[in-house]
Amino acid sequence: MKRMRRLLLSLGLLATGPLRAAVGGLPSAAHGDSSPEWDKLREKLFGGRRIDAAPETSKVQLIVPLRAAYGASVPVKIVSRLPQTAGLYVKRVYVLVDKNPSPLAAVLELTSDIGQADFETRLRVDEYSHVRVVSELSNGELHMDSRYVKTSGGCSAPPNRDALHLIGKTVFKLPEGVKPNLPTPAQVTVVHPNDTGFELNQQTVMYIPAYFVRSIKVRYGERRLFDAELDFSVSENPTLRFNFMARGGGELLAEVEDSKERRFVGSLVVAAE
Amino acid sequence: MRTFVFAALLAVAVPAGAGLPAAYAPMVVEARGLPERAEFDLGPALQRARREHKSLYVYLGARDCPFCRRYEAFLAANASQLAPQFAARYIVVDLRSALAIQAPRLFFRSGGRSRGYADFMRELGDERARQLVYPSVWLLDALLRPLMQMPAGTGTFETVEEQLEILRLQQ
Repeated sequence: MKRMRRLLLSLGLLATGPLRAAVGGLPSAAHGDSSPEWDKLREKLFGGRRIDAAPETSKVQLIVPLRAAYGASVPVKIVSRLPQTAGLYVKRVYVLVDKNPSPLAAVLELTSDIGQADFETRLRVDEYSHVRVVSELSNGELHMDSRYVKTSGGCSAPPNRDALHLIGKTVFKLPEGVKPNLPTPAQVTVVHPNDTGFELNQQTVMYIPAYFVRSIKVRYGERRLFDAELDFSVSENPTLRFNFMARGGGELLAEVEDSKERRFVGSLVVAAE
Repeated sequence: MRTFVFAALLAVAVPAGAGLPAAYAPMVVEARGLPERAEFDLGPALQRARREHKSLYVYLGARDCPFCRRYEAFLAANASQLAPQFAARYIVVDLRSALAIQAPRLFFRSGGRSRGYADFMRELGDERARQLVYPSVWLLDALLRPLMQMPAGTGTFETVEEQLEILRLQQ
C-alpha cells in the first residue's frame, strides 16, 4: 500500500492536462465526467477492470456540496446501496480527489461487521476537481460515483495550531446512541494537524513539513471493523463516521499511526443492550 | 475635535467608490459603533424582505479589500445579465466594512439583539464561524434563516454561470 501511495503521489504531482474553461476562464466539468488525472489513476489502480458508474446501477453514492465553506474542509458522505452481509459486501472503498497533489485520499478495508458501508469524512480540495469514490465488492465488482467540487486552496490553507499539545488524542462518539440489531453510527476523531507540506508558516515564511495521520484501524471487541489508509487530503483532525453492529456490548478501539510513526490509541466501552 | 476625528474614521471606513454597483439597487448598511466595533443592523432589510416576499443577498465588503473590488467589478461588468436575476428573488444588502474590522469587532443586529460574528454564524449554523473572510456573502430568508451554506469569499462565483448557480441555490 505504501508503494502504491508513493506511486500515486508522484503521479499526482506530475499530472497535468487540458481543462474545459467556463466563462471567465475557470475550469468546469459535469459531475460524471472523467479527467486526465482520473484516466491515469484508474489505469494504475484498476487496470482494465470494468467500473459501474451508472447512477441507476452503481452500488455507491457520493454526496458532496458543489461549494463548501472552506476548501480545507469539504464534507464528504459515502452511501452504500448494498447491505453489508457475509455473502456480499463492500470490502474496499477508495476515495480520490483528482487534482490534489496526492489524489488518493483514503483506502478503507472493510468487513461485514460494520453492517452498512456508509462513511463520512472531510477532505481538502486544492482546486476545482472531481471527488470520487470507488467501492470494490467482495465478488470483485467495482462501482463508482463522482462529484465535481468548486473550491480551492484546501491544501495550502492556514493551518490551525490551537491544539498541538493534544496531537494524537483519539475520541469515539456514538451520535445516536446504540441501535440494537441495526447498524449503529459511530464517529472517531484524531486530533492532528494533518499538515500537507503546502501550508506556509506565516511567521517564519517557511513551508510546514507534511505531517499527517497515515492509518486508523478500528475494532469492536475481537472483530475488525475497518482499516483506513489515509493521506493529507483528509482535513485536519481526521474524522471518520462509520457504522458497526453493536452486538453484545464491547469496546470500540482505534489504533492510529501518523507519518512520524507515532502511534495513538482511543477507545470507548459500548454498553450491552 | 472629537467630531472631526469621528468623521475622519467614518470616512476611512466607508470611502467613496467601494461597494456593490448601483445597478443592483443595494440597500447600503453603514456600520455603527466605530471605531471600537462595527455593528450592522439587518433589521430594516429583514422587514423589507418580509414585505416584498423576497430573500436577502447580504454582501460584506471592505473598502480596502482587493478581492472585494474584483467581485464588485465582476458584478458591474455583468450587470445587464445579472441584476434582473438578483432583483427577481433577492434584496441586495451591502454591508460596508474595512479589513481592520476583524471578527471580534464585527457585530450584527436583528430582532433587537446584537451578536458578534462568531455567535451570529453559530446561530445560523454557518461553517464559516471559524474565520471571517472579506468579502463574504450570505443568502438568508426574511426570518434570518440561511438558504444555503456559502463558501468563504466569492472566488468560486465570479462568472455569470456560477453567479447564477448561487442565485438558484444550486448545490
